[in-house]
Amino acid sequence: MALRFSKSKHNTKVILDGERWERRLQKELMSLIKEPPPGVVVDSDQGENLSLWTIKMRGAEGTLYEGENFTLQFKFSPKYPFDSPEVTFIGPNIPVHPHVYSNGHICLSILTDDWSPALSVQTVCLSIVSMLSSCKEKKRPPDNSFYVKTCNKNPKKTKWWYHDDTV
Amino acid sequence: MESNASQDELIIQQHREIEREISDTIKLIGEKENLSTLKNEYINDPVYQKKILDLCNKYENIRRTRPDGNCFFRAFGFAYLEHLLDKKDQYERFRELAEKSKDQLIALRFPKFTLEDFHDVFMEVVNAVGEGGEERMSELYRMFNEQGYSDYVVVYLRLIASAHLQEKAEFYQNFIEGNRTVIDFCHQEVEPMYKESDHIHIIALSSALDVGIRVRYMDRGDGSEVIAHDFPEGTAPRVHLLYRPGHYDILYEKNPSS
Repeated sequence: MALRFSKSKHNTKVILDGERWERRLQKELMSLIKEPPPGVVVDSDQGENLSLWTIKMRGAEGTLYEGENFTLQFKFSPKYPFDSPEVTFIGPNIPVHPHVYSNGHICLSILTDDWSPALSVQTVCLSIVSMLSSCKEKKRPPDNSFYVKTCNKNPKKTKWWYHDDTV
Repeated sequence: MESNASQDELIIQQHREIEREISDTIKLIGEKENLSTLKNEYINDPVYQKKILDLCNKYENIRRTRPDGNCFFRAFGFAYLEHLLDKKDQYERFRELAEKSKDQLIALRFPKFTLEDFHDVFMEVVNAVGEGGEERMSELYRMFNEQGYSDYVVVYLRLIASAHLQEKAEFYQNFIEGNRTVIDFCHQEVEPMYKESDHIHIIALSSALDVGIRVRYMDRGDGSEVIAHDFPEGTAPRVHLLYRPGHYDILYEKNPSS
């Protein structure tokens, strides 16, 4: 907070960016609580740390995931929303899906290449809900065991190939 | 044998390093330079030397922009607002259009609350051009070199271009290669940051804002002239850009028409 009173140009900039970052995430959190996508539940108390959220997701009725419960984790870097959030499934139940690795990493283009700062946590949740809902067969990606053994902990460090958007 | 994952990391790390080097050495928007500085860049290159000579007959100065994939949008934003500094009528028209554009974007189902942030900062920059006196130019320059303003402006201009393409999707579909729809194209090539701009981005933005852009293409093609393309066709250019493969900088005419 001492930073706030500093006169230097550089620090003013840090504060400006920091305030915008916080305001944006607060706004996103409120909107997600007020109008959650179907099956999504977000706890209003995300703790002190605004850069790390957990979001509950329920498998939609009439889909292969009906009755299942999942947990998503969102990590926001200081460059959010210019950098995409890091989004993974966590917890005991990782959905079995051709684009979801057993370590929780998700292969979804808007999480890396096609991310735009005009997207939001809400749009990401919607995309994940629709990705699960349109699934025809529960199975892991073909390269699951190799990927899980060798990948970085951060899915954004993977160069994804988005070759198949039909599932 | 190197595993895929560590190769990925190496590639990404290398990209980061290149990006850092660029951002350390090249400002988002540079100072105005004499156009002759270009000559030094191509000293042993007769093709480019001829073209620079041609360019020097028509233009006085160049302002370089950072090659980060956003250069077209950033160059346009800066050059047009700079152009408006002493043109009250054009400025008022643009301010009104910019103010109204928010509702137009919301009508196209861009998420309202993310959009508002970008529109607010965009208007802050537009208003800074209209208010105040002598220091407006330096204020514009400062804002465009601060990521916290500059990138917001870039995002907002990208959204305006995207909205225009979507509104006229039927027409623009003809110019999109592959099996992509206009909406896919907007999501993948227009709205994300750092994605480079092509003719279609320029046509979309210049048409949406009704501002003429002249792009001078400097490449290894035949001839000694630097070919000009006007967007939208037949519109008097307010902004002049120099295109070298993969990059746009701002040009300033010798005898500017208004």
